[in-house]
Amino acid sequence: MNNVKVSTKNVNVHYGTKQALHRVTLDINEKEVTALIGPSGCGKSTFLRCINRMNDLIDICKVDGSITVDNEEIISDEVDVVSLRSKIGMVFQKPNPFPKSIFDNVAYGPTIHGIVETKTDLEEIVHSSLKRAGLLKEVKDRLHEPGTSLSGGQQQRLCIARAIAVNPDIILMDEPCSALDPIATATIEELIDELKNKYTIVIVTHSMQQAARVSQRTGFFHLGELVETGETQKIFTNPENEKTQGYITGRFG
Amino acid sequence: MSNQFSHEKIIQLRKKRSAADRRFKTYGLIATVIGMAILFFLLFTIFSKGYSSFQKTVIELDVTFDQETLKITPNATYEEQVEAKFFKVKKNAIANALPDLSKKDIKLMKKMFSINVDKEIKEYFLQNPNILNTTQKLLVTAHSDVDQMLKGNAKRDIEEKKRKLNDRQLEFFDEFVFTGRLKSKFNNFFFTNADSRHPELAGIAGSFVGSLFTLITVFLLAFPIGIGASIYLEEFAPKNKFTELIEVNIANLAAVPSIVFGLLGLGILLNVFGFPRSTPLVGGTVLALMTLPTIIIACRASLKAVPPSIKEGALAMGASKMQAVFHHQVPLALPGTLTGTIIGLAQALGETAPLIMIGMIAFIPNIPTGFTEPSAALPVQIYLWVESAERGFQEKTAAAIMMILIFLFLMNAIAVFLRSRFERKW
Repeated sequence: MNNVKVSTKNVNVHYGTKQALHRVTLDINEKEVTALIGPSGCGKSTFLRCINRMNDLIDICKVDGSITVDNEEIISDEVDVVSLRSKIGMVFQKPNPFPKSIFDNVAYGPTIHGIVETKTDLEEIVHSSLKRAGLLKEVKDRLHEPGTSLSGGQQQRLCIARAIAVNPDIILMDEPCSALDPIATATIEELIDELKNKYTIVIVTHSMQQAARVSQRTGFFHLGELVETGETQKIFTNPENEKTQGYITGRFG
Repeated sequence: MSNQFSHEKIIQLRKKRSAADRRFKTYGLIATVIGMAILFFLLFTIFSKGYSSFQKTVIELDVTFDQETLKITPNATYEEQVEAKFFKVKKNAIANALPDLSKKDIKLMKKMFSINVDKEIKEYFLQNPNILNTTQKLLVTAHSDVDQMLKGNAKRDIEEKKRKLNDRQLEFFDEFVFTGRLKSKFNNFFFTNADSRHPELAGIAGSFVGSLFTLITVFLLAFPIGIGASIYLEEFAPKNKFTELIEVNIANLAAVPSIVFGLLGLGILLNVFGFPRSTPLVGGTVLALMTLPTIIIACRASLKAVPPSIKEGALAMGASKMQAVFHHQVPLALPGTLTGTIIGLAQALGETAPLIMIGMIAFIPNIPTGFTEPSAALPVQIYLWVESAERGFQEKTAAAIMMILIFLFLMNAIAVFLRSRFERKW
């Protein structure tokens, strides 16, 4: 059994007067892939964005409860979100490479954190990150072309390379394959499988097949509540809750 | 009721709909044609009235540079040459412009030449000092009245009293034309001189340079302040009643009549802070205040138009707020901001009222060399000339409008260039 990396207790999220998450309590294990599934609007993305405090960007969003990362509380005004986010990478639903070159996209994180000293170090980080994201072969001859010139799947892998360039502990993925075709999806899924040896991954997905393929543990959200959580195999073969059963067999959602 | 409908009915109605489409297309076309026609009419009028001021009339004059009249010796130094009596040389030349002129005639003849002729003779001599004691054929500037008569702007078949040139002068004029001594030349004065009381000498260089200095002041003040305020309001300021109030008032400020800014400049900048009157510095400061809202509105709109996913991506990478803004938002918002800024500057370039308030309407006969020197500006120059009684200033007015339009055109070209240069796709 792996160590617990992220632990949430009674997390409530309100958008204005509307409550989006109700008392979510979930442990996320180190170096595993945790999938969050559930119908649209059930709060799984909101939950994901609590972990790296991206909900701070939304003025009306209020988060309470407790979330610890490496046993340190992060729901507090004293937490430095910039350093928190430097150890939690994020990949978004729609690939969002910066309008810069491929090289600059990957180099962005290391540069802003000021962790590289020489140009050769930076080049090495960029190369190794692109390699781990499985993109190096395809782009090594055109590192100085804009990142936006890549195909959708390549752009998403570029975003993954960008996230791992700062060597985070955790990677959050918010429906990373929803804008991609099946082949690009398969590539990303293989990549996720490989990345879990080094990183803790939390992935929000609409596709139950994807959750079943890539994750070790799964959490099922419904109407802002975490209905059931457990080993992926168990959730998909023998769920305890009736709603989970209904969702995975396609009766609703 | 069942949901029964016939496709024939739809086809019938479709005819009506496509007729409406066609009608709308026609209206649009008519509107465009009317707009273009008005624009061309405007440009045509300005051009046809103004093009003649790029030509000036010169009179061929036999000038005798004899050393007795000039009171210098052949081996005089440059300083002595500068002090030579060129006005006497001019007097003699004009007296002999036509044969057998009476004293009264000479007086009348003198009025057909520009006041600048002394200077022209002097300059010619200083460039060619070896012409001492020879007679040269010089092309000297004619008086504006002669110029206008030759260009056909002044009527000659009216009462003598109503004419600038009297009957005797017209005889001289015809004699000059007949002997081919009246010629048209490119009017360099229009581009190199500042304003003047004499239409044939008045130019736009002074007001052009004044406008340039003013616009530089506007840009240096309004651009950084505008961008700073927009970034703060858009990205950093807390969203509360107070910032909302500021936002509403910026929009209001954009609609304040420009003369109010002029009064502000007069009351505060000149009277309280003691800025130098009639200078590009004051004019630029006042116009910068007027331009600020335009720049802020444009800059905020382009900051808003940057896709939030870019900013989110940067923040999720652990960029600080400032890094996210300056690395990603600002570069992407720059083309729109620059366009807004140049629109603001173009507005400032054409603004007259506030400049009148702070005294830039003064008659300034020389070209300013700095921000704190009294100067004119292009729109005020147009205003001054259009008010002048002399016919010669009429064509100058149109020509100055042409210059201001060219200035605007250049600024817009720069805006287009910058926009395409900085524009990036995402």
